[in-house]
Amino acid sequence: MKIELERIEKLAALKLDENERGSMLKDLEDIINYFENLKEVETDSIEPMVYGEKIELVLRDDIVEDSLHLTDLKRLRELFGDGFFRVRRIIGE
Amino acid sequence: MDITALSVSQIVSKIKTKELKAKDVVLTYLTNIDRLDSEIKAYLNVFHDYALKRAEEIDNNPNKKGLLLGVPVAVKDNISVKDFELTAGSKILKGYIAPFDATVIEKIKEEGAIIIGKTNLDEFAMGSSTENSAFFKTKNPVNTEYVPGGSSGGSAAAVKANETLIALGSDTGGSVRQPASFCGVVGLKPTYGRVSRYGLVAFGSSLDVIGPIGKSVEDVAITLSVISGFDLRDSTTAKVPVLNFETYLTGDIKGKKVGLIKEIQNFKIQPEVEEAFRKSLEIFEKNGAEIVEISMPHLKYALSVYYIVAPSEASANLARYDGVRYGFEGNADNLRDFYEDTRTKGFGSEVKRRILIGTFALSEGYYDQYYLKASKVRRIIFEEFKRAFEICDVILTPTSPTTAFRFGEKATPLEMYLSDVFTIPVNLAYLPAISVPFGVDSKGLPIGIQMIGKWFKEEELLNTAYVLQEEAKHV
Repeated sequence: MKIELERIEKLAALKLDENERGSMLKDLEDIINYFENLKEVETDSIEPMVYGEKIELVLRDDIVEDSLHLTDLKRLRELFGDGFFRVRRIIGE
Repeated sequence: MDITALSVSQIVSKIKTKELKAKDVVLTYLTNIDRLDSEIKAYLNVFHDYALKRAEEIDNNPNKKGLLLGVPVAVKDNISVKDFELTAGSKILKGYIAPFDATVIEKIKEEGAIIIGKTNLDEFAMGSSTENSAFFKTKNPVNTEYVPGGSSGGSAAAVKANETLIALGSDTGGSVRQPASFCGVVGLKPTYGRVSRYGLVAFGSSLDVIGPIGKSVEDVAITLSVISGFDLRDSTTAKVPVLNFETYLTGDIKGKKVGLIKEIQNFKIQPEVEEAFRKSLEIFEKNGAEIVEISMPHLKYALSVYYIVAPSEASANLARYDGVRYGFEGNADNLRDFYEDTRTKGFGSEVKRRILIGTFALSEGYYDQYYLKASKVRRIIFEEFKRAFEICDVILTPTSPTTAFRFGEKATPLEMYLSDVFTIPVNLAYLPAISVPFGVDSKGLPIGIQMIGKWFKEEELLNTAYVLQEEAKHV
């Protein structure tokens, strides 16, 4: 299995340097090759499993409740003000 | 009185009768931390002042109640404790002060527990040795040349070194049970949905469970009773009754059926671990249980399934660390470059590796071949457990194929992943399981036996574990 590492990095919003890239690529290929054994398993008629059987997802009543306070969030980021996070420029100058 | 020799229920009852002060309990454990933790390095943050203040409040309050009254609890640093820093063992959360309590923290506080500090872990709970912490390595208190296991290595080491009485960990693929095994303490992974994940830093959301680590099955059972229960803030918690689990520890397992997985002989196991495992089976027989052979031919695929499913979920969960709202901030003018810089500098290499595996497994052209395939094989493994539990009540395996290894011994990620080969299937199938210490190898390193129970039958599981614990005292 060949991995286009730079494409995956871009999807993951990571940027490895050249030194890191070599060893990472080898590790990833070894790990992904290990997954090859799954090909032996016949799964055509099997439903994928995401949640356990006994879990029923519960919805909360639509009632306003006390939640996180804006002052607590302000403490996390200086740039948090007026209920918004300020971010860097997205559109070109 | 040797305070560290007291169990949870002994401490609580002595504080209630004023025979013992909560302050003396906390001071005893804080003194041990001061004395030992420069070597063991179990803690990322010790709450000296907070813990003493809480103890004084308990001592001054005439109304003495709570299942964990005055009990020191160490908390893995991927669980939110309001107003304290939360790192998840990562540099990317630098400076993040949790603005709320996790549900388990609310619950233990309500029962009078005293949170004594936050323990070290593999970054974002990704690892089996605590070597992946961005801060420092924790040592195994049994022999400091060896790893404590992971990812809840700090929690297990703190309990073993008498630096706390109880610790909370999280278990995604064995992260409570494997370090408990390596350090010679008891570690429980509850059924998925038994304990709320609200306030736990998300890794693999269909696998993560918070579980207690303690010196005895009794202590772990009491803690489980406290932290369990349906929670509106975690829609995957189950509406099942919470029991007083410690009242089920009768030691009577007559007529119970203990499952022995036939295919276990195909796995490479350290001979001394294998021998202890055989001996544990004999003990159950001696106590009136019947050993039944079960077959799980797809168990050998569990590792592949896990290392696709867990990184896939992680790659989505860790997308939130972009430097915008909290934690470490990278440096770039443009938003896209800012995200990349923050994440590239903020995450360590194992976390990057898993994000990349997950991103790959979910990417266009590979989703069916990897993520979808793994989710289907996951169901096959689940169904094998379901069939097994039609003929047995509990399944026995070693917790880990080996005892603790030396620092740096596992040279490749894959070698490291193999140390979780018996714990991982349990998470894939949402089951409860416990590791109980059972003897040591020739180097004096603890061996752990894993018992896997039926879904939401922790009371039976804990009683089985209790039998092994009591018998281990005579081995």
